[in-house]
Formats: sequence, structure tokens, C-alpha cells
Amino acid sequence: MVKIVKPPKVDITRTVIGHLKAIGEATKQAIAPDTITIHYPRERRKYPDNFRGLMIFSKDECISCFRCAHICPANAIQMFPDENGRYYPGVDYAKCILCHFCIDSCPTAALKPSKIHDVAFKDVESMFIKEMDGIPEIKREDKKLVEYDFEEDLKITKRKYVENLIVEVPKPPRPKMIAAVKSPENCIGCRLCFFACPVDAISSKAEELEIILDTDPKKCTGCGICVRICPTDVLILQPVREG
Amino acid sequence: MFEELMSIFMGDSVNIPLIQPIVDTLMGIPLINLIVAFILWRPIFHILVIPGLLGITIILLWIVYWERKLTARVQWRVGPKEVARRAGGVIQTLADGIRYFFQEVIAHRDAHKLYFIQFPLISFLPVLLPLLFIPAGSVWGIRTIYALPIALALISLIPVFILGMGWASNNKFAYIGTVREAFIYFAYEIPFIISVIAMTVIYETADFFEIVAKQSIIPGVFINPIAFIVFLITLLIATSRLPFDIPEADQEIAFGPYVEYSGILFGLVMTLPYEKLYLLSLISVILFFGGWNGPAIPILGDLAPALWLFIKAFIFMSIVSLTRSIYGRYRIDQTLKMGWSKIMALSIIGLILSAGVAIW
Amino acid sequence: MEEYPLELAITPPREYEVYFVPVPKELLEDSYKSDDFVVFVGPQHGGSGHMRLIVRVKGDFIVEVIPDPGYVHRSMEKLAETKLYIQNIPLFERPSIIDFGNYNLGYVRAIENALDIEVPERAKYIRTLLAELGRIGTHLYDAGILAVFIGHTTGFMWPFAVREFITEIFARITGTRVTGSFIIPGGVRRDVDEKTLSAIKRMTYAMEHRLKKFERIFIKNPNTIARLKGVGVLTKEEAAKFGVVGPFVRACGIEYDVRAIEPYEAYDEIDWEVVVGTEGDSYTRFLVRVEEINQSLNMIRQLVDNMPEGEVISNDIFSFDKKDIRGSFFEAYADLVLPEGEYTTLTEAARGTLLYTIVSDGESTMPYRVRIITPGWMYLRGFMEACKGHRLADLQAIYGSFGYFPPEADR
Repeated sequence: MVKIVKPPKVDITRTVIGHLKAIGEATKQAIAPDTITIHYPRERRKYPDNFRGLMIFSKDECISCFRCAHICPANAIQMFPDENGRYYPGVDYAKCILCHFCIDSCPTAALKPSKIHDVAFKDVESMFIKEMDGIPEIKREDKKLVEYDFEEDLKITKRKYVENLIVEVPKPPRPKMIAAVKSPENCIGCRLCFFACPVDAISSKAEELEIILDTDPKKCTGCGICVRICPTDVLILQPVREG
Repeated sequence: MFEELMSIFMGDSVNIPLIQPIVDTLMGIPLINLIVAFILWRPIFHILVIPGLLGITIILLWIVYWERKLTARVQWRVGPKEVARRAGGVIQTLADGIRYFFQEVIAHRDAHKLYFIQFPLISFLPVLLPLLFIPAGSVWGIRTIYALPIALALISLIPVFILGMGWASNNKFAYIGTVREAFIYFAYEIPFIISVIAMTVIYETADFFEIVAKQSIIPGVFINPIAFIVFLITLLIATSRLPFDIPEADQEIAFGPYVEYSGILFGLVMTLPYEKLYLLSLISVILFFGGWNGPAIPILGDLAPALWLFIKAFIFMSIVSLTRSIYGRYRIDQTLKMGWSKIMALSIIGLILSAGVAIW
Repeated sequence: MEEYPLELAITPPREYEVYFVPVPKELLEDSYKSDDFVVFVGPQHGGSGHMRLIVRVKGDFIVEVIPDPGYVHRSMEKLAETKLYIQNIPLFERPSIIDFGNYNLGYVRAIENALDIEVPERAKYIRTLLAELGRIGTHLYDAGILAVFIGHTTGFMWPFAVREFITEIFARITGTRVTGSFIIPGGVRRDVDEKTLSAIKRMTYAMEHRLKKFERIFIKNPNTIARLKGVGVLTKEEAAKFGVVGPFVRACGIEYDVRAIEPYEAYDEIDWEVVVGTEGDSYTRFLVRVEEINQSLNMIRQLVDNMPEGEVISNDIFSFDKKDIRGSFFEAYADLVLPEGEYTTLTEAARGTLLYTIVSDGESTMPYRVRIITPGWMYLRGFMEACKGHRLADLQAIYGSFGYFPPEADR
């Protein structure tokens, strides 16, 4: 179905009426305006709960699976070892595009979203946050909260309220997974899985001419590094069945 | 010799009862009394205080801020607000002017350096000269019966200086803008003069004092509204206000004749259209809105009519600056065509109407 | 009028050799010998966007315009060969940041064609919703730029204020104001809840209320009509010859809209009309886009009313929660491998037809070649031809009426 638009004809009455309408509209706005701007940074817009801001990291839940570093489109996440030797992520906010692919990939919700996004760093080096644990400290300048809503027209509500920028998000409904053996006949004994496991859940024994590797189900956190690094596709991640 | 000067100054002095006690005490001190008498001498008071330099400074400080605020209000936002936050940002123009002082004035290699730097300063000449001839009630500079034609002739000198600035810049965009400025002069001058002639035909005189005296019952705008509309449109073209700011189009030719100016020269050059607007709005208030007629305030004495004229011009300028938010910009050939067909027809109708009123 | 050619021995000034201009020196010398002017409306100019236009002007009339695009070229096609398939989604929505629905859709549909993934109904409706919201946002942006190019500052501020409604809705759906990266192979990343859907419906009414005021002060303003009417006319044959796309070819009378010819997503389930104009001048191009905003608002209301219940992530994608991809994003997408071949999709972005081609070699997790042709690149020739014979001040009016956006055309 087609709708045709035609420009209007131009004659003297339409021109004069057009001028008068435009002048009338401007005068009406000059007397009673429909202002929609806010006085940032003293007033701040209310953001929804799923707003994509900086990432909050909690070290206790991280299983060092390297998924966030692999998926980041801008290569902004690098993993750094702490004193125990396990690797944890650090984000370079000069490169991060706040797409939250890393949060969507994290299996244990160790990386969480927050509403902090318009902060200023003092220099470029401090934008690479190597130790991400805990909530970052920011100086707030806003005193009021502005909320946009829609009725007949835009409705702006201003309240004297400082918003909490940290959001509570539920954990994703992902069952605990552990590594299990899928095709043991493919194993060539390269022991890459033994070297790569962050919690040392794989043990290796040398018996005559064969090397036997064993996975420990209690220690395994389900990070999947051994699955990805095996060159002959021996292992697979499997969900834990109760009982 | 001092006594001769003192007698000349005291002979034609402005009388303001409000500050008379201060003036009396200052008259006792030997050298200060000469300076005070000089300032209160009628022509010097006219050119220095109202409606002269002090008046222009107050108007400039206000009108730039007010235009930005009014335009912002129409555009659903708030204008400048940060400079003096409690007062709503009123001294924004002063802050801008001080910033221009600190910027570097660059005269590029290909410019005619003499004209390039001198013209923005000399352009104050055709702005202040007509001001001498426009009286303000009880305060006047030069009082003749030919004041109106002389003032109009001097105002039409201002485009010549803008042409000089554009030519001295030696830049392609400045050249295009200068040519447009020269063209647009032809669009508005003749309907402008015809509408002024229409008003003088009604009042039967070209003397400012008698024009204002004749408007004591009805202001001129109700006698001949068509001449007022023509005057308003040609005022918009003359002072490069939207919808006719063609010589200094920002998007097409990057500011036209003023493109190469920076620093304090740019600040001076930007105030030129506003000063022309001030002059033309003074004339329009005298011709159409009753000039300095208003209730007399005894405490201000001679200052009261001048203050009424100033306030009326102030309000007129503030309302005219609304056009910035209503219109876009016309093309140069559309303006020329309009100026010579529609606006000319309207002005001749106004002339015939005023001839009819004068006969009746 | 008789014209006598001048034979002056003039060489162009030194500066022309210092600027790296892509025109031959003969053009400059030729223009110096006649009375033409060569004006560089360059990247640092109030009215040129980010590209350089070399305009040859005779008096006040334009003889020809030579574009010099490439100022904001980011080499997206080459960058895409170094990233995984899923990592290219935030890359390819950057040409037009508020129209990310259409740019994501083209790329993701190519992957879905290759892997034969079926998308659930609710996800199709949500994707169409994002595409239409992006279309309205882009048309408002273009209207603002057109207004500022003809000097109308209020006409610039008001569409951008109304565009704020769209970014608020995007923030509620995707979490960010522009560049949502929300559409993934198999559906969308998250579900949209009831509160947001009713806010979207109320927003359409609020937007119509504000657009009525905009109509009085800009669209029906006699100044605008005088500036845009009859300027930059492209006839039907010329538009077809130069390959103009999108609402700009519809304004010349050709009824070509990819959503009507090869419908995708939910476009064949809702009621809408293709907007066509009859004359090919700037004002019709502008009016076509204004009418498309009204059509899109209508479409959004129908989509919100008829939104089916269900999941938003396809069954062919590995995910634990079919309404939220959080937690299983990596397992689902990190080692996508497309079978060998070439996959092409056409999408109707806001400014015209958008073409994606993915060439895969069957073995690697990164594409072998991705080809994207944006609408801006396709109608650039028509834009240059429409300027011939008009005045210098019309260059900006025609530029604004075409809505040429250099980051989109240069990719």
C-alpha cells in the first residue's frame, strides 16, 4: 500500500497564515516554555536498573575461566595474577565500549553491572584498573534526581534524592558444571590440561610408557580452560546431576 | 580662561535634582568642578551618558545575554547560567568580553594589515556620529531641523566599513560575504526611505521635537501601521538579523566578511550589528512609539524624558530579538526579489495611506 | 549574454599545492583563467559535515561539485576479519549509532541464514521494534541537521529534544542510550517487560504532541518552503540512473522499499504503507521522511499491542534461560563457525538500502571477508548531480535534504 505526499501550493494567504502561526508558536514558547533540559551535574537523570555502566568485580566468586578476556570485542580485559598465582581480570576503561559481553559471559556472576558511567579519571594510566575487587570510590556532585516519564507529553519529576548507583542483580540460572571425559582414546598425553588448570584439579601419573591423567570432581570449578585447550577434544563440560 | 569655559558649560547644563547635592559639593573643588561641569554640559552629556556611550555599553551588555536567554527559552532549554549563578548568569557578556581580551589577535600574512586592523576601530565613527543628531527629549547633541535626513545618511555609511573589512581579509569566503553585503544594501535602502518619508508626510515636519510633540495623543504606529511593518522588515535586513543574516551566514560561507578576525577585534566586530540595531530602534521609537513622551518624574528632572526613550528602545530591541528563534535564512536572490517587489509595493501603499491621512 | 574567455597568464597560488587536494591541477588553472571560483568547503567548515567538497562556482551558480570522502574512514571491513563473528556486532553498528537495530539486523540475519537458526516470534517483534525506533531517531536527527544548514536554530534544537524520548526508551530496553548491541543470532539478549512496553506506547503519543509544534514552526514555515521547494530536483530517470536509494528515491516517484518487496522479521504481519512523493525536490524528500516518522509511530503501536508471548532466544542456541542470555553467552557464540560460502542480506536502514555479505571459508571462527555497503555511499553520486546549476547557498540545503552522514558513508 502506497501513500503519496505532495508539497502544498504556495499563495499569499497561506504564506501569511504560515508566518503568523510560526510567530505565534514562538511567542507561546517564549512565555510558557516546555523546557526539557536538566542542570547537569547538579541534577542527574534516573537510569533503569539494567543500565550499562562500569563493571563491579567480586573476587570470591571468580573461577578464573578467562571467558571475559576472550569475548571482549575491544580487547580491554587482561588477566593479572595475584599473590596466589590465580588470574583475575583487569579492565582498561580507555578501550572498553561498555557492551557488557563480559558480564553476559561470566558463569558465576562475578562481574556485575552498575550505574556508574560518567566518571573522570585523572590520567590515562589510572584508566587501566588492574585490581578490580570491590566497589570503586567516586565523588558525587549531584543533589537532585530527575525522572523522565511519558503521559500526554513528557513529564519531568525532580526529587531531592541521591541515587544508589550499585544495583542488585540475581545470579543467572546456570547449574554447576564440571569437566568430564568424553573421548579418552584421543588423549596424546601432552598434559596441557594439567598445566592450565587454575585450581590444580588434574593430576598426572607416569606409569611405564603411558601417562594417566585424572580429574578431581571436588576441586573442579567448571571453568572450562582444560576443555578449550585440549588439542584432541578429549574433555567436555557437563552439568552436575544431584545424587 | 577657566571662567570662560565654566560660563559656557554652566550656561547649557542638564538639571537633575536627584544628584544635585553631590554636584553642589563637587563644585567647590577647583579642578573637579570643571570636569563635572563638562560632563553635565548638554551635548557632552548626550554623547557620553544617555543615549551615548554609557547607554550603548549597557545595551550591549544586556542584549547579547538577553538574546541568548530568549532564544534558549523558545528552544526548550535554559541559556547561559553559570557565570554568576545566583544572579542567573547576567554578566555573561562581560565574561565573554574579558575572554576576548586574552585571546591572540592574528593578522594573517595575506591581509592588508593597515585596513585589516584599523577598520573595526574606525567603524565606530559611523555609529557614533548619527547618535549626535538623535535627541532624547531634554538632552540633545546638535539641534537642527535637518536631523532626521542627516542621521539616516550617516547610518547608511556603515556597510562601507564592513566592505572594507571583508576586502582587507583577502579570503575567498570573506569575498563572497562582502559581495553579498553590498548586494543586500540595495534590497532594503529604498523601501526604508519611503517608509520614513511616509511618516514625515503625516507629521508634516522632519524635526524630531515636533514629531514627538504630535504623538502625544496617538502613537504613530496606529496612524500608519503599514509603514511600521515595512520599517520593521527593513530594520531586520539592515542589521543582519535572522531571517536575513545573509552576509554572515555561518553554515555557508563561514561568517562572511568577519571570518579572519580573532581576539578583541572579533569582539568589536561582533557588536557592530547590535549598535546599528540600537540606532535604528531609537529612530523607530521616536517615529512610531511616541519618543520620549511619558509621565514626568520630578526627582529626575531633565533625565526623565531621556530615560523614557531609553527604556522604550530597550524593550523594542528585546522584542525584535525574538526573530532569531522563529526563522531560518533566506537566499540572497530571494531577498533582492522580495525587496524590490513585495516590500516596495507595501511601502508605496503605506505612502498612499499616509497621504490620505494627511489630506484628511 | 555573450561571454568572452579571458587569456590571463595566472598560476594558482602556492597553497593549492600544499593542500593535498584530489583534483588535477588543470582544473584549478582552468578556473583561474575563466571567472570561476574553486571553493573548498572542507572538513573544518560550519556546513560540510566531516567531508571535503570541492565546489566550482561561476558567479553564484554551481558548475560542479567534486566530493572527497574518506575523512572518517575507519576500515571496518578489514577490522572485521580479525574478530570473531560475535565480536563484529558492536563494530558494525557504529556507522549510524542510533539506527543500530537495522545495522545489527543485516549482519545477524546473514549469520542466521548460514546456520539455519529459527528465531522465535516474540524476538522478531522486539527486533522490529528496535529497528523502527532507530528509524524515527535517525529521521529526527536528519531533520535537525537540515534545519541548522538553512540557519534555523530552533528547528535544530527541537528534533534533538524529541530524539531524547527515543534514547530514553532505548535505555530502558537495552541498557544504553545508543549502540545497543542487543540483537544476537537467535533472538535478542534480554526480554522486555510490561512496564517498558506500556511506556513505549505512551511515548508515541507524547512524541506526536511535540511534533505538531515542530510542524508549525519549521515544516510549514514559509521561509523553509521558500528555501527548499524546487531546489535540487532529481527526475525519476536520473534517480534510477545514479542509483539513489531509500526515501530519496521514493521521493522521486519510484516505489522501492525493501521492507515491502522482501519482508523480513515482522513486517508482513503489521499494517503499514510505503511513502512515496511525486516531485523530486528537497521539500518532498523532507516531507517523505516526516511522513515515515508517522508511519513508524503507527507501526510501533501495533507491535506493542500484538506482541506475542514466548521466549526470546531460539532453541537452536545453547542457553539456560530462554529469556536472558546472561551466563551462557560464551558457550553459545564464542566458537561459531559458518559453513563455507557467501551469504547476503538486504535491509532497509533509515537512509536507504543496506547490504551485508559474509564470505566464510568453512573452518575458522573469524569471517574471511565481510562486505558492507551503506546507503550514504550509494546515493552520493545522486547528491552530487542534484547540486548542478543551483546557487551556492543551495548546496547546504541539498546536503541537508539528502541527510548525507559521512561516518555512515565512509564506514
